Amino acid sequence: MNALMKIKSCTWIYWALVFLTLITYVISRAGYSGLTVSLSVLVIALFKGQLIGNHFMGLSRVRGPWRWVIFIWLFIPGSLIVTAFTLAS
Amino acid sequence: MGRRCITAADLFLPAIIGCSLQINVLPPNMTDSTQIRRYPPGDLAIWIFIIAELLVFGIFFASYAFARANNVELFNTYQLTLDRQSALLNTLLLITSSYFVVRAILSIQADNSQHCIRWLLAAMAMGLMFIVVKSVEFAHHLGAGISLSTNTFYMFYLSLTFFHFLHVILGMVILTTLAIKTRQGAYSATQHDGIESGASYWHMVDLVWLILFPLVYVMR
Amino acid sequence: MQYSSQAVAKPYFIVSIALFVGQILFGVILGLQYVIGDFLFPEIPFNVARMVHTNLLIVWLLFGFMGASYYLVPEETETELYSPKLALVMFWIFLAAGVATILGYLLVPYATLADITGNGLLPTMGREFLEQPTITKIGIVVVALAFLFNIGMTILKGRKTVVNLVLLMGLTGLAVFFLFSFFNPENLVHDKFWWWWVVHLWVEGVWELILGALLAYVLIKTTGVDREIIEKWLYVIIAMSLITGIIGTGHHYFWIGTPEYWQWWGSIFSAMEPIPFFMMTIFAFNMVNQRRRQHANKAAVLWALGCSVMAFLGAGVWGFLHTLAPVNYYTHGTQITAAHGHMAFYGAYVMIVLAIISYAMPMLRGRKAANSRKSQVLEMWSFWLMTVSMVFITLFLTGAGVLQVYLQRFSDDPLPFMVVQEKIALFYWMREGAGLVFLIGLLVYLSSFFIGSKDPEATLESA
Repeated sequence: MNALMKIKSCTWIYWALVFLTLITYVISRAGYSGLTVSLSVLVIALFKGQLIGNHFMGLSRVRGPWRWVIFIWLFIPGSLIVTAFTLAS
Repeated sequence: MGRRCITAADLFLPAIIGCSLQINVLPPNMTDSTQIRRYPPGDLAIWIFIIAELLVFGIFFASYAFARANNVELFNTYQLTLDRQSALLNTLLLITSSYFVVRAILSIQADNSQHCIRWLLAAMAMGLMFIVVKSVEFAHHLGAGISLSTNTFYMFYLSLTFFHFLHVILGMVILTTLAIKTRQGAYSATQHDGIESGASYWHMVDLVWLILFPLVYVMR
Repeated sequence: MQYSSQAVAKPYFIVSIALFVGQILFGVILGLQYVIGDFLFPEIPFNVARMVHTNLLIVWLLFGFMGASYYLVPEETETELYSPKLALVMFWIFLAAGVATILGYLLVPYATLADITGNGLLPTMGREFLEQPTITKIGIVVVALAFLFNIGMTILKGRKTVVNLVLLMGLTGLAVFFLFSFFNPENLVHDKFWWWWVVHLWVEGVWELILGALLAYVLIKTTGVDREIIEKWLYVIIAMSLITGIIGTGHHYFWIGTPEYWQWWGSIFSAMEPIPFFMMTIFAFNMVNQRRRQHANKAAVLWALGCSVMAFLGAGVWGFLHTLAPVNYYTHGTQITAAHGHMAFYGAYVMIVLAIISYAMPMLRGRKAANSRKSQVLEMWSFWLMTVSMVFITLFLTGAGVLQVYLQRFSDDPLPFMVVQEKIALFYWMREGAGLVFLIGLLVYLSSFFIGSKDPEATLESA
């Protein structure tokens, strides 16, 4: 991948992150609540996190156990949060 | 094999950033970003540190979620008192600063120190704005007489965001160090372990906020 | 021994071990007093024996840290100690003050000791572990400052390594936090809040830096692994210690009258305090596995590895067992605490001092690198006797503690304290038995300094 392609791809990722953030904000302004909405918002956040891990932190180019370090971090606390919110509703 | 760190800028974080030390027992990391590597970019020590920080925040997030499960009404009520516009702005600021840091790394990989510094400064500007926005939020809460003892929601909200805030400040110190060292010519296309380490730390700070924002401000 | 001034470490180490023996003798007395309440009463009441046991522990560890510093700093800095004479003068002052204090505890009623030492002018007596008269505390500060000055000046004029800088940071922290022992608020909540700034921030804070530095030093010397690798590990370990341990102080602020948020902060951060100890275990075993060469001093390597394991178990695991607020609500101030305290102190600090003595003493006594095979075998026997018996002490106290918590706090019909103490007496008897084995181990340890001391040094061919 040459330099220009690399810049283009991370710029796309950036705009995706901004877009997803705005969606989350709109959901909060619209006053939506409830388990489904909350979990959707969480999933969006976890996806954003994975984008950061893969593309900004460079983990997509790592082969081996280290590739999964951010994913595991998103998965475990993410699961706990899902559990807690499910129990709460 | 390795350089000894002697400048004042890296007095406090010598082994973690600034020193590009080869770890003898581990294979050297590829410096060309297109190559597949076994280890993440930057010093492995900083990644251990990153994992530790993520662990703390992870436990904090889970504790928040479970504390909320025991106090749903309270959390829902007081969540509405938070300033979501500031939070949105802060999220965008951190995402943008992360992007700028990525651009800085790409610049140094293309051996362009000048551009690297500019991107780093831009990232720092975003970080500084985050600090200002967050400080205004804190001042507002304190002015309204809100403290850690007000209720469980505010205890978590203030603890989480203040703890994160401290990490943003540390991240700024790291970015400043990276900018100074880049200016001193410490990094190049073939040798930029140190700057990748610092960049990874900054991304971690952004990553944590990306979960914190929806969890504390939005999910109800 | 590369530098002649390293010799000042020897008297420190000797007194260290002597006071260790005193500590254990009083430990055995205390253990018996748990089950025969008026044993040695009124000559040595329980509370006096306890003060002697705990104060001797701290003082012998301090002598050990100082001896360790005087030994390793000249070697690390590649220059002679700034003032060996100052080190020796401070040795005698510290020893005299320590002995006088212990004699004061034993020979005179505590209230009288307070009167005759002028406690009324600046009251600092009467708090656990800080029972020393104010003048002794001032003496400790003087000795500590002189020690820091000596070590600091040596480091300043010589080579600065990560090991000696981390050690200096830890020792400076030790001195600074001791100053809080002079701060004695009227308000009971404040009193307890600030007390932990000495105790917690010592053993779960700056002492961990000292531990890390000493462990790193022993590993560098005995394994030959690259200094940079060991130093990088050391940085990560101490960073984790400070990150988890500083706010982790909150696990002492659950029930003393401080705001409720401490129950969250203290639980979350202290839950992670085992991490640096876990890293130390991985670090120690990794370094020994990757060693470039064998070292003739097998005993020192055994102490170092054992230290990392026991510290993780005693401080890390047993600490974790009762660190979360919902658990601590029931276990606070019970034999669970005693179980953790014994294994943690032994594993982390007793063993690291014994490791450094094991490494350095042969050379201080004229050997090139290690003791004779016979001495080392005895020393390694003492390692196993003391360590295994400590594990049993801890297990028995844990048993006592679990039963105590259940009967006295958790059950639907809680029983009074003394009734429960009767019921857990069997565990106390078993603990005393283990304690006697520990004492035997300590005597074997002492013998290792004499038996085999005339034999030829162990070499890699003969070992």
